[in-house]
Amino acid sequence: MNSKWRSLPFATVLAVVSMLVVLSLPPSASAIPAFSRRYGTSCTTCHSDFPKLNDFGKAFKDAGFKFPKDDESFLKAPPVLLGAPAQAELWPHTVYPGSIPGLLPVGLRYNTYYQQVSANRNNFNLALPAGTVGNFIPKSDFQPGYFSIFTAGNFGTGISWWVDDDISVAGANANGALGDAYLKFNDLSRFLKLPKDSLNLRAGQFELDLPFSQARTWNLSGWDIFSEANVGIQNGLGPQQFVNNGSALEDAANGIEFSGGHIYQGYHYSVAVFDQNTTGLTISPPNVAPQNAVAFNSDANFKDLYGRFVYRFNLEKDPVSRDDVQAAGAMGPRDHTFLALGAFYLYGRTAQPLSGVLADGITPTVLTAREPFYRIGGDVNFNYRTFNVFGVYLAAHDHNLLPVTAPGAAGVTGFTPGAAATFSGGFAEADYLALPWAMTIMRWDQVKSSADRINFIQYDPTAPPGSSFFSPYSATRNRFTPGEQFLIHANIKTSIEYQIMPKQIVYNPATGLPLTGPFRTNALIVGLEFAY
Amino acid sequence: MKKIALVTIVMTALGTAAFAGTIHGKVSGVSGESVVYVEAIAGKTFPAPTQHITIDQKGLMFVPHITAVAQGTTVEFLNSDSVAHNVFWPSISGNKKLGHNLGTWPQGQRKSFTFSDPGVVSLLCNVHPEMSAYVIVSPTPYFAETDKSGEFKIDNVPDGAYTVTAWHEGAKNKSNPVKVAGNTTADFTLSK
Repeated sequence: MNSKWRSLPFATVLAVVSMLVVLSLPPSASAIPAFSRRYGTSCTTCHSDFPKLNDFGKAFKDAGFKFPKDDESFLKAPPVLLGAPAQAELWPHTVYPGSIPGLLPVGLRYNTYYQQVSANRNNFNLALPAGTVGNFIPKSDFQPGYFSIFTAGNFGTGISWWVDDDISVAGANANGALGDAYLKFNDLSRFLKLPKDSLNLRAGQFELDLPFSQARTWNLSGWDIFSEANVGIQNGLGPQQFVNNGSALEDAANGIEFSGGHIYQGYHYSVAVFDQNTTGLTISPPNVAPQNAVAFNSDANFKDLYGRFVYRFNLEKDPVSRDDVQAAGAMGPRDHTFLALGAFYLYGRTAQPLSGVLADGITPTVLTAREPFYRIGGDVNFNYRTFNVFGVYLAAHDHNLLPVTAPGAAGVTGFTPGAAATFSGGFAEADYLALPWAMTIMRWDQVKSSADRINFIQYDPTAPPGSSFFSPYSATRNRFTPGEQFLIHANIKTSIEYQIMPKQIVYNPATGLPLTGPFRTNALIVGLEFAY
Repeated sequence: MKKIALVTIVMTALGTAAFAGTIHGKVSGVSGESVVYVEAIAGKTFPAPTQHITIDQKGLMFVPHITAVAQGTTVEFLNSDSVAHNVFWPSISGNKKLGHNLGTWPQGQRKSFTFSDPGVVSLLCNVHPEMSAYVIVSPTPYFAETDKSGEFKIDNVPDGAYTVTAWHEGAKNKSNPVKVAGNTTADFTLSK
């Protein structure tokens, strides 16, 4: 949930539409047909159910978007040299030679949706004053989705890139528009005589190294915990909170990231330093250099930190097969049977400036509440043949500095610590690839946030919040999402999701009394997408 | 005794030479390589060839794409790629009971299979679905692959009446009766 919800009293329709859009539209980036063209191979070489990567796809990504070994022998179009390899001997007296792909590595993706919402969808209109014309939410709806362009590859010297952009929508990363856009220096470890692939560096805009990518999830809807913000408000009856951390784990990060190891075997780590931005606002004037080009992306001086470590145990009995990219199955190569255990930690610090006065109680000044926060979590991922079960648990904690006004002062004079704003939750998902073109999915998402409930439900006679579509019945929101996905071709997919939504309730904003019993607004989403 | 044997061998050799013909012709209506072979001859069997044939997997492709062999030939499948491959065929000429999966093997290693049943074998790799090749298992040793213009020539076919079949990837097979008497022409026009 985003901080924008705070400013939407009674904007029920907007809430409905926004939520359905958020829940129904998939993330931005996807498979890369450009690689299919480059290597003359099918999407299924790297994807089991695009954009879900199989073991080979993970190794391909680890290697900097190329084959882990003998990449040149697989290229169907030779690269264009930007300098003969022998030029390297002249360096630093010449530009170091590199190459660009012989085929322009660009892919495109489009998706479209149909949604159907249960009969309770208009319940929240009950919260409107009598006689008010409410907004009608249709039972069914067709929606255009994303039209995305993406390009990725490597420049031949261990430098790779990725850029994806959703042309048809505004937002960033999992919310659309410019998604990941970075340059990655692979295997810097070779210069430091460290173990191969133990040190990489990427710079630009990227999704944090989440245990499971929200930006490239194969599900129609993202995992709730990765889109959860921490927004606590002062509303009279609830625990007093002055926390407005609108950032979510799925948000695009701008910064640099060191990483190493492999995601298909053994250890993998990453450490990222990136812009602090919890308000979602940026300073629009262009920065000094380059002029008229780059605006500020941060909303504070502080840089956030994110770290992740995971270890994957491949469980094949045969040691040769165990260490290979793919397991040697009796009926052909396949994904490993594996168990991966990981942990992640994010540390940041929100900055909330507000008008106040100095200790003299008179002189105006700007006071800033700097509230450190962290997100800590663990993940598990187990795969047996075509059955994959995985999950994440996350706990969030934001320090809560409450504004205080000294006796006799004309305004806020300082802050005092309050009860921390926390939330927790996660998800568990099981994917069963029953056939190479049919995957059955069962998901359970849970978010426990007392602030969310307070923000939308708790009655405050002085400032009654609107009962919105997103009014949770309790602090714990459970969503169950069975789904099925079918590959019509390797690059065309139809997906079906039935979202059994968390229980909701509508209160009378004037009296605080419930207008409904608990109900759900379940939704059926059908998606159709193709990439080429 | 030795003289009699020598005369017998010479006469047999001369006789064979005198009654061995050639089938040549052109496969048209399609482009690229085709395979032409003499169908099974009633009452005749042929010893299995001792020479092994190799089909490579290189650069995510089977090399060569089309291989014609006589029934009983052993084909060795080599993996020259640094990625794992697999070779299987779902059927032989549509007979799914003859489908087979050779499994997985690493770079530089081979797996062999003796094709005892005649027919068209469609080779596939289960991790690289774009990979494709064909083994045409001829029931007789009388077969040939055409050149790219469709021309073919089958040597050493004994004079007689046969059924000759032309195969081309993606086209319908065509079988024609052919009377071989010395140098015989047999043309085929295939359609998809």
